[in-house]
Amino acid sequence: MSLITVSGYGLLAAFIFYTLSFFGFFIALAGSKFSKRDPKEHKQRWAKIGYSLSVVGFAGHLVYFVARWVYGGHIPVSNMYEYMTFFSLTIAFAFLVFYLLFRSPLLGLFCTPLAMIMIAYAAVFPKDVQPLIPGLQSKWLMIHVTTAALGEAFFAIGFVAGVMYLLKTINFQSKQKSDVRQQRGVEFTLFVILMVVVFAGSVFTFNSFGYQAQFVKKTVNVVGSETSVSEEKINYVLPPIVKPYQSELVKSDSFLGLKKPLFTAPAWMEGVNAGRKLNTIIWTILFSAIIYLLLRLVLRRSLGSAIHPILKDIDEQDLDEISYRTIAIGFPIFTLGALIFAMIWAAQAWGRFWGWDPKETWALITWLFYAAYLHLRLSRGWHGLKSAWLSVIGFLLVMFTLVGVNLLLSGLHSYAGV
Amino acid sequence: MIDNTKCECGHQNHVGTVLCESCGKPLVEEVDSNEILEMRYDGVARRSQRANPNILDRVWNFFSSVKVAVYLILSTLVLSTLGTIYPQENTFFDIDPAVFYEQRYGWTGELYYVLGLSRTYESWWFVSLLVMIGMSLVVCSIDRVLPLYRALSKQKIAKHPQFLRRQRVVYQVEPDFSERPQAQWLEQFAARLKKRRYKVRSENGALMAEKNRFSRWGPYVNHIGLIIFLIAILMRSIPGWHMDEHYQFPEGEVVALPGTNYYLKNEKFTAEFYDKQELAEHQQLRGDVVASLYETKAILYECTADCNNPLKEPQLEKVHEHDIRVNSPLDYDGLMAYQVHYELTPKLLGVNVSVVDKQQNKRFDKFRVDMSNPADSYQSGPYTLELKNYYPDFAQDVNGRPITKSSQPNTPAFIFLAKGPGLSAGGEIFIYFVKDIDKQTFRQDELNGTLAYRIDISAASMEDVEISMYTSYLNIRVEQAMPFIWVGSFIFMVGVVMGMYWQHRRIWLRIDEGRLLLGAHTNKNWYSLRKDVQWALDGVGIEIEQEALDNKGGNSIELNHS
Repeated sequence: MSLITVSGYGLLAAFIFYTLSFFGFFIALAGSKFSKRDPKEHKQRWAKIGYSLSVVGFAGHLVYFVARWVYGGHIPVSNMYEYMTFFSLTIAFAFLVFYLLFRSPLLGLFCTPLAMIMIAYAAVFPKDVQPLIPGLQSKWLMIHVTTAALGEAFFAIGFVAGVMYLLKTINFQSKQKSDVRQQRGVEFTLFVILMVVVFAGSVFTFNSFGYQAQFVKKTVNVVGSETSVSEEKINYVLPPIVKPYQSELVKSDSFLGLKKPLFTAPAWMEGVNAGRKLNTIIWTILFSAIIYLLLRLVLRRSLGSAIHPILKDIDEQDLDEISYRTIAIGFPIFTLGALIFAMIWAAQAWGRFWGWDPKETWALITWLFYAAYLHLRLSRGWHGLKSAWLSVIGFLLVMFTLVGVNLLLSGLHSYAGV
Repeated sequence: MIDNTKCECGHQNHVGTVLCESCGKPLVEEVDSNEILEMRYDGVARRSQRANPNILDRVWNFFSSVKVAVYLILSTLVLSTLGTIYPQENTFFDIDPAVFYEQRYGWTGELYYVLGLSRTYESWWFVSLLVMIGMSLVVCSIDRVLPLYRALSKQKIAKHPQFLRRQRVVYQVEPDFSERPQAQWLEQFAARLKKRRYKVRSENGALMAEKNRFSRWGPYVNHIGLIIFLIAILMRSIPGWHMDEHYQFPEGEVVALPGTNYYLKNEKFTAEFYDKQELAEHQQLRGDVVASLYETKAILYECTADCNNPLKEPQLEKVHEHDIRVNSPLDYDGLMAYQVHYELTPKLLGVNVSVVDKQQNKRFDKFRVDMSNPADSYQSGPYTLELKNYYPDFAQDVNGRPITKSSQPNTPAFIFLAKGPGLSAGGEIFIYFVKDIDKQTFRQDELNGTLAYRIDISAASMEDVEISMYTSYLNIRVEQAMPFIWVGSFIFMVGVVMGMYWQHRRIWLRIDEGRLLLGAHTNKNWYSLRKDVQWALDGVGIEIEQEALDNKGGNSIELNHS
């Protein structure tokens, strides 16, 4: 069995065991009513099972990582697929560490799905090991990317605890204006999380049914007096609603009668393969809306108020403290990885330590935001709800820096992707 | 109105003090409140809290506010975001931004340009925002650090009962002092805390334990780091501190680096690409060409004499050599050279030729003819060639006279006066085209007439032809501020780790007539503080749940009996 196969099995095992771990934690929290045992004993027992399962999952995740590293000859953090699986690994790591500090099974209930979502999200990108271009041949690839990802993983846990705090404390029965605003905010956050799941799910589904559509994009290059035309093939995994700017349809499988794209992507979208990405976003929003409405029909209430009762026995002060402490721990690591190591590498590879490249700028924006969070918390006493909202917004910025920048903006960090 | 800021414990506080610097008694609120105390900066008066501020004080007060600091941070955040909507001007080469943004992005692009957002990060408003953040960092820090230092260095052991009762961690109990006398009880409690590396002081039945006070200085240390960082950025505009130029380096040519005393030669440029089977499957399918190496073998020379003399060749001395790759720049005494780009530019540099006696079919000594800087005369065996004229880019004007179209050796032609055996005494004119194709186009043999049957100038093989295949584009930089940038970053990291990874924990305790009152404070990680207190109490025979220490809302304190 080749190393890359071993690596694949490792990741699959990680995914499966994180899922099992999620159920372990779920039973720990929800099953105590149905168990004949003493509730406290039941909770401890199943939390231990849940934790052990996520440790096994993490071990599988490490197998994936090490085997791929040995196979490829370089640390597997060099493209979007590898980065996202690694980000998931650091989230799992941060969770395992924090669980030992706080022993909260609820944290497991929310963190394991986050690690799974990241793996699922990674799966939409090309999986093969790519050789390193000259720009990435540096030890700083390893140092910069791993520390940045670890810092972001702590922010991710801060986000999870923040969302839990909101779900726990917001009054879902109230019709008061301020409460309704909070309810809508939480609902929107949950919808965004749903969108990520749906996105990964739909790409996975269409991929496994072998759906394909292809476009050719012609670009006219003028160099001095010579004109040349370069052709670029663009493959779609999802049925085309939007076609890339300045391109022609080559072939397209029919999906529910949709054979031809309905309109063209605007010219101002700068990112690599902007047309395809816009197409993916439209499908994601469409599918998510359908699934959301179905969920609402089944539950007969908002997602937030449906989740709210699960958090009954949790101390919100603990959640507030977890959220704050993860961010306090993540902030220095993020600074080191995403800014300082990034500057050192940029100074070495590009000759300037800072160039206001969109990715750099967004890392700085994220950093400024968490700096503001810490100041508001430490000096202006923003605890509880306000603090929880900030941790949610902060993580949205992290995700925008990781994903949105590549999607919408151009720059030195843009990789190809779905 | 003059505030009476003297506390009942006798300590004279500064105006604006919230909690007495000595005993901690709340000074401003009504006495009966049970609310948890606001403990930031330990309730000391900040420098900016003056009775009658003048203009300078008002400026100081503005910058000393954390609220203002947060607004500054968020403004920078929002403006930075705007700057990423469209690429900034400096990401393009050779554009006229006034036209470019409208052409490419339409009216929104034009608006972007008109608003100055296409140069966001160099704009006066962005830079002044950074300067204001710098001022805020300085003022905020000075405003708080000195009073805080004063307060923390003269803490009284016995705190006011109100101060203790209104902490977030509180415990009251009437210990059984019959088994263990009060003094012994305190001693054991102190010993227990010392085991957890608390510094413990006690007097007259009161005790104070403290650890990791240094973490309180973390924010000020990291602010110092940030200030150094910001100053380093400003220092880049000092003349000579910052240079950023792009030059072309054709293979084999020594190129002067303007503004420095250095010359750089690109000995050889290499571009390598991965084999198809080394690429990932989707890359193979797309037909990607992926580079594996860009490398310029560079030699750096320093000019030792005749540097600015246009009449003489500068005298160069080799000082450094380095294979410049993307992640491995040349670095010599602050001068950096980075691999940026390359182009395939086949260009003749020189030829190693010899004179051939065609009648005897004899080839004489080799000599090198440089295409950019030919010598006045050459010697090959018995023959002497005097250079009469050189046309690097040969052509004929309307009258048929030879001219050169450019200084690039595209069609190099030499006019020599040849002297030697079998040639007339005054010498004979020989026209030499270097490239075979030019020899035919311009009919060299016909031009040379009968001389063409007697002698020739030629290279023995292709190895004698020196061709520069590539031009390497290097970025030449000087960045004197870098060490300060790194020092600033390092100090920032030290400060932020100090402040975030350690917590200042304090536990106060007093015993009044057999009743014990304990209060504890930390700036974060209450969980561990409660654990410390629980563990210390356990050591003197008081077993409690952690939750019992939590002073929720300040109203749940009951007297415990043990």
